[in-house]
Amino acid sequence: MTALFSKRRDGLSLSEALPDRSLFVLVAMMGFLAALTLAGASGAQALAARWAAGAAQLVTIQVPDPDQPASPPGGASLPAPGPQAQGNGPAADQGTDQAAPPPTVAAPNAGGLPATLPPEASTGPGAPSRAQAVLAQLAGLPPGTEVHRLSAEEISRLLAPWLGASDRSALPLPAVIRVTLPQGAYLPPTLEQNLAAKVPGVIVEQNALWSERLHSLANSLLTCAGLALLTVGGIAALITGQAAHTGLATRRDIIATLHSLGAPDGYIAGRFARRTASLAFGGGLVGALLACPPLLFLLRMAAPFGSMTPTVDSPDLTTAPAQAIMASFDLVPQGLLGGLAALPVAAALICWLTTQVMVRLWLRRLP
Amino acid sequence: MIRLDHVSWRRGRKDHAPVLSHLSFNVPQGGFRWLLGPSGAGKSSLLRLLHVETLPSAGRMEILGQAVGEQTKRAALVRLRQRIGMVHQDYRLMPDLSLADNVALPLRLQKRGEDEIQTEVEAILKWVGLGARMGVSAAHLSGGEQQRTAIARAIIHRPGLILADEPTNALEESQAHRLLDMFAQLSAMGTTVIVATHNETLIRRLARPALVLEAGKLVADEGHPPA
Ligand SMILES: Nc1ncnc2c1ncn2[C@@H]1O[C@H](COP(=O)(O)OP(=O)(O)O)[C@@H](O)[C@H]1O
Ligand SMILES: [Mg+2]
Repeated sequence: MTALFSKRRDGLSLSEALPDRSLFVLVAMMGFLAALTLAGASGAQALAARWAAGAAQLVTIQVPDPDQPASPPGGASLPAPGPQAQGNGPAADQGTDQAAPPPTVAAPNAGGLPATLPPEASTGPGAPSRAQAVLAQLAGLPPGTEVHRLSAEEISRLLAPWLGASDRSALPLPAVIRVTLPQGAYLPPTLEQNLAAKVPGVIVEQNALWSERLHSLANSLLTCAGLALLTVGGIAALITGQAAHTGLATRRDIIATLHSLGAPDGYIAGRFARRTASLAFGGGLVGALLACPPLLFLLRMAAPFGSMTPTVDSPDLTTAPAQAIMASFDLVPQGLLGGLAALPVAAALICWLTTQVMVRLWLRRLP
Repeated sequence: MIRLDHVSWRRGRKDHAPVLSHLSFNVPQGGFRWLLGPSGAGKSSLLRLLHVETLPSAGRMEILGQAVGEQTKRAALVRLRQRIGMVHQDYRLMPDLSLADNVALPLRLQKRGEDEIQTEVEAILKWVGLGARMGVSAAHLSGGEQQRTAIARAIIHRPGLILADEPTNALEESQAHRLLDMFAQLSAMGTTVIVATHNETLIRRLARPALVLEAGKLVADEGHPPA
């Protein structure tokens, strides 16, 4: 006799309604969209983190003609004639106060003294080279600062892609000094002017400004992604609300009967909510899975630019598919993987909550 | 116990004329009342009100000891409905459910055990003569079968109050008499029963006091005749 009792216990027949199936498809599409948005957000976040951690503190200083004496006897050979030096006089004063470098060049005490004839310049062969002068200036940077002058070999390696392996001893190569500042430290604002005054032609490349710009760009991308996710969630809630409303309206009489038989609001709302939540979970899962192939493709393309995959080469999908797929998953940042896994749960939660609220509000029309 | 004190009920907003106006009557626990009156008098409306499908627009109402009004908590109304059995004029079965599942509904809403539910459902369906039709979908039943299913659903959970709206109009005479005998028995065992009907032979068969409605007003209360 057991067979005479079906699994359908209350006649709501929620699994047979058409609007519910369209909910599945719509949630799957939104899950797809959300997954792509998550990937964008995760990428932006990785970018922001990398720039914040490393590049911000890196300063590169190029010194042309590094082996010339720091202060040439004649101003004509270098683009640092009198007026500029004069103009820099007070600034240089300030600079020496702050960074306290050894007073190797340009003693400005005698304000009227011409910059082209500093005292040290006349002391003969013992005079420091331009590169040494720059290094001396840098000695006054905050403690923890790393100053490294690239060796000729390192410079060659850097230049190899552009110049090939040819002999380039003839080329007048600048000295390249890499300065790595400790966290939170900045170059004194006057250092660049100071260097230019004392060792004309020096180029200071500071990444901090770019890093800040990129950082704020990444942050606005993150904000956009967040807004997009909120919007997708909002649309999901609206669609669920609509589907719940349709489901309620087409079952008006059945629900009224169930209510009159003594079904509590929580029972009816729970039945509807469980139904939409399971549809949304399925939809979210399908959407997230559908987003995986394009995401893996994007991540494979992005892999060479990222620091997250130092050893894994782009997996070759033609040779060993299973292995390649496993390797592909190594490319997915952990945060993104977590986000994708949370997607069906989030979809289910949104739909469950929306349905609970909708159905309970609707039932208020019955006493 | 049922108490109504100047209870009025109108459909929808205030500007509608009341369907029921200033009804005052009592029915003691275990009492049996016929509910009589011409078509459109408000019999079905009164039964729906007593079933707490709607709330009084005015006046005070108490059903099975529970005061019923706008202030009553929803949970209390839910519990009250579970103690009432109602046979609607139009049966109100769940078309997608089998006959057995329809009858099992009140017990399932009370979260009774499945074994107990099946035993009870089989017994009551045999009693109403539908033992062989248990698995049939409610949508495929004849009018008489639907009415008997509705009756089975109204009494399976042994409610304290049974309300029946013309419960015999689709039944053969012998079935109608059997049903009436059962209502009389349940009433004798302490269940309050109110049956709306036009069936004169039925009323003659079971001599019990009547409540008579006309145009929404109570014109006779044989249980408590005016002093
Ligand atoms: N669905 C309805 N919509 C509007 N008025 C209705 C509806 N059902 C009943 N009425 C009106 O309510 C009053 C009472 O009806 P009802 O309670 O069904 O009376 P009875 O059951 O005694 O025939 C009548 O005036 C009837 O016209
Ligand atoms: Mg009627």
